[in-house]
Amino acid sequence: MKKLAVAALTVLVGVAALILGVAAPASAHVLPTSTVVLEVHGDDLDAQLRIPVTDLVSASGIGLGDGTAAELAAHDDEVAAYIARHFEPESETGGAWTVSVDNLAITTAEESGTSEYQAITAAAHLVPPDGADPRVFDLGYDVVVHRIVTHAVLVSVRNDWSGGVVESARGLGTIRLDTVTGEIAPLAVDLGDASAWTGFTSMVSLGISHIREGVDHQLFLLTLLLPAPLLVAAGRWAGPTVPRTAVTRIASITVAFTIGHSVTLALGALGLPAPQQLVEVLIAVSILLAAVHAIRPIFAGREVVVAAGFGLVHGLAFSATLAGLHLSGGQFVLSLFGFNLGIELMQLVVVALVLPPLIVLARTWAYRPLRLVAAGATGVAAIGWLAQRVGFGNPIASAADGIEGVSLYLVVMLWIAALIVFGLDQHWRFLKGPLSPDARFSTRHPVSLGIERLEQNPGQPVERAPHPSNV
Amino acid sequence: MHTIPAIFRSKRVLTRVASTAVLGMLLTGCTTTTPTTSTGSTPSATATSTAAATTTANAGTVVAATEAFTATLTSDQLASLSQEYTLENAEAWSNLPQAMSRNRVGLQLSELDDSQLTALGTLLQAVTGTTAGEGYDEIQQLLNADDYIADNGGSSDYGSGNYFIAFLGTPSDAGTWELQFGGHHFAVANTYTDGVLAGATPSFRGVEPFGTFEQDGETNAPLESEQVALAAVLASLSTDQLASAELDSVYQDLVLTPGNDWAFPTASEGVQVGSLSADQKALVLAAIATYVNDINDADAATILAKYESELDETYVSYSGGTSLTEQDDYIRIDGPSVWIEFSMQRGIVLSGNHPHSVWRDSITDYGGTQQ
Repeated sequence: MKKLAVAALTVLVGVAALILGVAAPASAHVLPTSTVVLEVHGDDLDAQLRIPVTDLVSASGIGLGDGTAAELAAHDDEVAAYIARHFEPESETGGAWTVSVDNLAITTAEESGTSEYQAITAAAHLVPPDGADPRVFDLGYDVVVHRIVTHAVLVSVRNDWSGGVVESARGLGTIRLDTVTGEIAPLAVDLGDASAWTGFTSMVSLGISHIREGVDHQLFLLTLLLPAPLLVAAGRWAGPTVPRTAVTRIASITVAFTIGHSVTLALGALGLPAPQQLVEVLIAVSILLAAVHAIRPIFAGREVVVAAGFGLVHGLAFSATLAGLHLSGGQFVLSLFGFNLGIELMQLVVVALVLPPLIVLARTWAYRPLRLVAAGATGVAAIGWLAQRVGFGNPIASAADGIEGVSLYLVVMLWIAALIVFGLDQHWRFLKGPLSPDARFSTRHPVSLGIERLEQNPGQPVERAPHPSNV
Repeated sequence: MHTIPAIFRSKRVLTRVASTAVLGMLLTGCTTTTPTTSTGSTPSATATSTAAATTTANAGTVVAATEAFTATLTSDQLASLSQEYTLENAEAWSNLPQAMSRNRVGLQLSELDDSQLTALGTLLQAVTGTTAGEGYDEIQQLLNADDYIADNGGSSDYGSGNYFIAFLGTPSDAGTWELQFGGHHFAVANTYTDGVLAGATPSFRGVEPFGTFEQDGETNAPLESEQVALAAVLASLSTDQLASAELDSVYQDLVLTPGNDWAFPTASEGVQVGSLSADQKALVLAAIATYVNDINDADAATILAKYESELDETYVSYSGGTSLTEQDDYIRIDGPSVWIEFSMQRGIVLSGNHPHSVWRDSITDYGGTQQ
């Protein structure tokens, strides 16, 4: 029960942070720095190293000239040996770890204010001695900094599933000169408690952020919702059972989408080949079809089947993320569940935020133009993405990619519009007094009063969704 | 891009001519320990290494100059200018261009009109030295240098409009307040307690381009006097002395950079100045003077007298070449209270090397305020 409360709290905080777009402050440094990025896999670790070439040359004395790949290739054994000499992790009890360095390469790097510079990248595999805790150790890294004491080495951890770090990096500290003692202080690493629970909750957050950051997935979902209140409006004729029908309908669409993407998410993450470009193209197609459907129903009554089909496509896109984490079997099952849960929760948030104002607005003259403009714009964005994903880059796609930060404002505007409409409606009812007995429709639902007024005014267009049986 | 009007630079030639004699005197070993223009300095305060280098030489004058400046400002500008006297605000200086700085506080110069800039120039003159190439003259040349970067490939993060003036606390002859003026490659921090200069550091200077350059019709070569005076110290050392002075490590930048406060090394490295000849000692003091003389002349004389009294316990160390013109050339002067570093680095915006340099005081940094 307590864990459930913690989970709920974690999710709430996660949702709030994602919506607010919390970002970590960047630290400024004009001299190029080295970086060490740890990746934790259960009992051993990998470390991705990046070292500025000129600093490595200056500190090691190895001649790499201008830092070309050929020069590195001629000296790669020397460089690997130099790195290994200055990378000696130790357990708390003093046991030395085994370090192997390989995959040396030259890359171009740039940090804030440094301008571009050449850097050497390398991978180090770190194995603790038997029985030693792989999560608590002294990093023992002083490459470059042993000689160039104004150099700094930034150490972080990425992909520590059971420590709760996935698809993000957490700073562990900086290796640099302690100016007071004149020593290079060794960096004590404590990766903290590891548990399946931590891994699970971080996957929930990852699922949330994938919907939060995926403009295309958001648009797809919103476009599917756009005609949903019209079905409610159609059901309006049938009286108070309408809201329940609407909710059931939306729920079944969402569940169908979930089942669809869970299947391909699992298959894809387990190794089903998913050609990324084709998947991205199909996603653009799905958004385009959803937009067309919002303008003119092309699969009314079959939304559940279509949503499941779209889900299959979207799941393939998510699966690349999971596959990149290299998880063990148990971790994988938990991750799949957590990731899906996160996606569902964020979808739920979107539905909860968008559906109420849509239902209110759907009963006014404003909804038809709103729906047409929104669906039209989504359709244009989808065509832009489609063109971009088959290889024709275009400004529409770039603009659509950039609307992430705008969606929150759109939701706020939607709510304000709905509240104004609702307020005017109440005001109008107050002025008009008790309902006239010749009302053409049942008016048990107060917000429907507005539409009644408009119905009585033949000059105004009125939105009516087609009844499913008409299609 | 808003630049400082020419009037902000009007005294350069005059000050250069007038104070060449002072520098010459120092370079020949005839060091001044008695201020010639003071209105009541306190030499007794310089006797021990633990006492703060304080002076009342400028009491009243600075506060009057701050009032003349604030009288030209709007209430909004005044609100930006006036900051709380806290260590956090005092430490909010940086040697980086504006986009990368650590949130400088105060009033940005691009917000000032020409008459306000003139009033600011008068205020800065009241707190800075008149030696050519130092003090007020150096400020103008460094502002020119940043305008030069802005005009030659730098972004809008560079240029004199990106400098800030801040009063931490209320300027007064009672209580503690700090005058902070700085921007890219530049930090002036004067802390006053009861009308007395309680600290003139941290004081940061850097310049790109290094060497002589023209900007707005002025010929500039800021920090050249520092580089020349420091190189003269190394040039005077014998082979044995150089060997004791040389540091094992490579220094690509300063050790006590912005943000690394109150982190003075417990152990001094290098050759002890007490073991040097009188001429060599005079060269060390002359090099120190190129930093201290950035402060108004009377205060500078007092501070320099203190550093002279501690000279035998002061150490000189270096790394890289002794000319201090090549990348990774580095020199440090580390005394019981004085701390000076000079580091030659590669160019960032322009080609060619450029120096960073800091003067700190392990007793009176931030006026002695540590928390």
